[in-house]
Amino acid sequence: MQKSENKSKLTKFLDAALSLKVTIVALAMLMVLVVACTLAQVDMGTNGAVNAYMRSFVVWWKPTGQNFSIPIFPGGTTVGFVLGVNLIASQLRGLARTWAKLGLWLVHIGLVLLVTAEFVSAALQVDARLAIEEGQTVSFVERPQEFELAILDTSDPKLDDVYGVPESLLKGGGTIAIPGTPLSLRVHAYFKNTELGRKAEGDPPTMATMGVGTGVTVKEAPPVTSDDEHNRPATFVEPLAAGKSYGTWLVSAAMGAPQAFVHEGHTYQLSMRPRREYLPYALTLKKFSHDVYPGTDIPKNFSSLVHLVDKPAGEERDVLIFMNQPLRYAGRTFYQASFGKGDTLSVLQVVENPGWLLPYISCALVTLGLLIHFAMGLRRAQRKRQRQAAAAQNA
Amino acid sequence: MKTPQVTQRLMVTSLAALLLLAACRREEVTHARVAKGADAPSEMMPPAMGGAMPGSGGAPGMGNGEVAPPPPPDPANTLKWTLPPGWTEKLEGGMRYATLKPGTPGKVEVSVVMLPGPAGGELANVNRWRGQLGLATVDEAGLAAIRKAIPTSAGALGLYDLISDGTVKTRMTAALLAATNGNTWFLKMTGDAEPVAANQADFTRLLESLHFDASGAP
Repeated sequence: MQKSENKSKLTKFLDAALSLKVTIVALAMLMVLVVACTLAQVDMGTNGAVNAYMRSFVVWWKPTGQNFSIPIFPGGTTVGFVLGVNLIASQLRGLARTWAKLGLWLVHIGLVLLVTAEFVSAALQVDARLAIEEGQTVSFVERPQEFELAILDTSDPKLDDVYGVPESLLKGGGTIAIPGTPLSLRVHAYFKNTELGRKAEGDPPTMATMGVGTGVTVKEAPPVTSDDEHNRPATFVEPLAAGKSYGTWLVSAAMGAPQAFVHEGHTYQLSMRPRREYLPYALTLKKFSHDVYPGTDIPKNFSSLVHLVDKPAGEERDVLIFMNQPLRYAGRTFYQASFGKGDTLSVLQVVENPGWLLPYISCALVTLGLLIHFAMGLRRAQRKRQRQAAAAQNA
Repeated sequence: MKTPQVTQRLMVTSLAALLLLAACRREEVTHARVAKGADAPSEMMPPAMGGAMPGSGGAPGMGNGEVAPPPPPDPANTLKWTLPPGWTEKLEGGMRYATLKPGTPGKVEVSVVMLPGPAGGELANVNRWRGQLGLATVDEAGLAAIRKAIPTSAGALGLYDLISDGTVKTRMTAALLAATNGNTWFLKMTGDAEPVAANQADFTRLLESLHFDASGAP
């Protein structure tokens, strides 16, 4: 009896959860999130706002001057998940599996695919940048919002071995083994953002016992997310090799030149930099163009003429990248994003998203579904009218 | 009640898929082999962060959390030397003023770096070099014991010969010149122990020849 009542309650809950009202409320919430996220980009930057509003389970609000945050709205992940489940389940339960409902099936599948595409993007999309000067050849992209501790073994006369320790590992602390080397790093501290200053008398002692850091004070700063600000992460690490310590070093993104130590004839350089990913091909910037309308400073077009060389694939060609005309190559899309250094530096946004086609497929399905649905409706109306006309004639 | 069962399964499957996607983000130490020079400094950071930092020069010159690049050497007080036979030199554009290479085979080169002012002092810089080789730091008395003074017309020069521990030894013969105009010059011969030893005599003669070209002529 009790079991039957529980089942009944569950059914009622599911009925409510899978109703059209939930669909409408979830869609309305998504609209609110989109507006709020767009407005928040002014202060938080694109990436910060998207992470806070769209790629979160809950939207938090921190009262001014307080140390705590209050949950104020479901985040995009929660709303998207509810909407996705609602759409799939209501479709499975409520929509008749007949040819007459083909259009609505396609619309539902398209919407579900759209929600799924956002989850796929959130989980798998990698945003990076490629900054390249005229005449320069570059075969790596960088993620400006993420950092890594780079260790370069410069001992080989022709090739450098580059090891990247992502900041997620540095945050965890402990000892990190560097595969392929006798080295391991003991992480004493990691700061997402810092301000560095010259160490003065009376300053607290530093953790650094080697390198430039012995004369530097490190002050932790609040992390920044806006597009025109950069975090300056810093870490205190102690390289260990063959049971020997090479002292504790301060490595910071505010230091331009790397610091180095030698172990068994190998010189290891330490530096903090935006996370780097190497490509099996290279791009050379032949020319960057910044066109303006005649007689004005109003931008008309930005374009980068690059030379692509992919020796393993036997590919070599010139490519012109300009606004809305990206280069799509080997799973990555290179968009013209910015420029600098007196129009000699081009900055390309590089997006790697295995699910990039999903939104297009989704839109096509929704469009096709609506067309079929309305076409069928029109056909039914026409037939009804024809029947009525025939009936009137017969009468 | 078939429908709720289907829905429950769907919810559980979706949640599991979401968690799996989140779990895919585990990160590891990456490794790449790149050609020399291909690993250029980042252009993504603001100029102050991408600029030269005396990380291997020993004197932090920073304020407001940023690092100012050191000024180039005063052309009216350019350090000059007599290059030993067979050696080659290349004037660099950044913080490193020049790179010298002996004509002998093996891994060895000489870097020439200028920093304004005392650049942290002799003790701090020698201990920094020792740290790079994994050697213990020394105090003032220890410094005096390993210092070899070489007279030059450019200023007081202290020479330090350091050899790393380990089975593959790296040798660093480093000179610190407190120039008469207040700046500090570093001339450092680094490489495998054998080729560095083979070029010690030439390097010492090069140090003895140091002088300033007041005309600024190349």
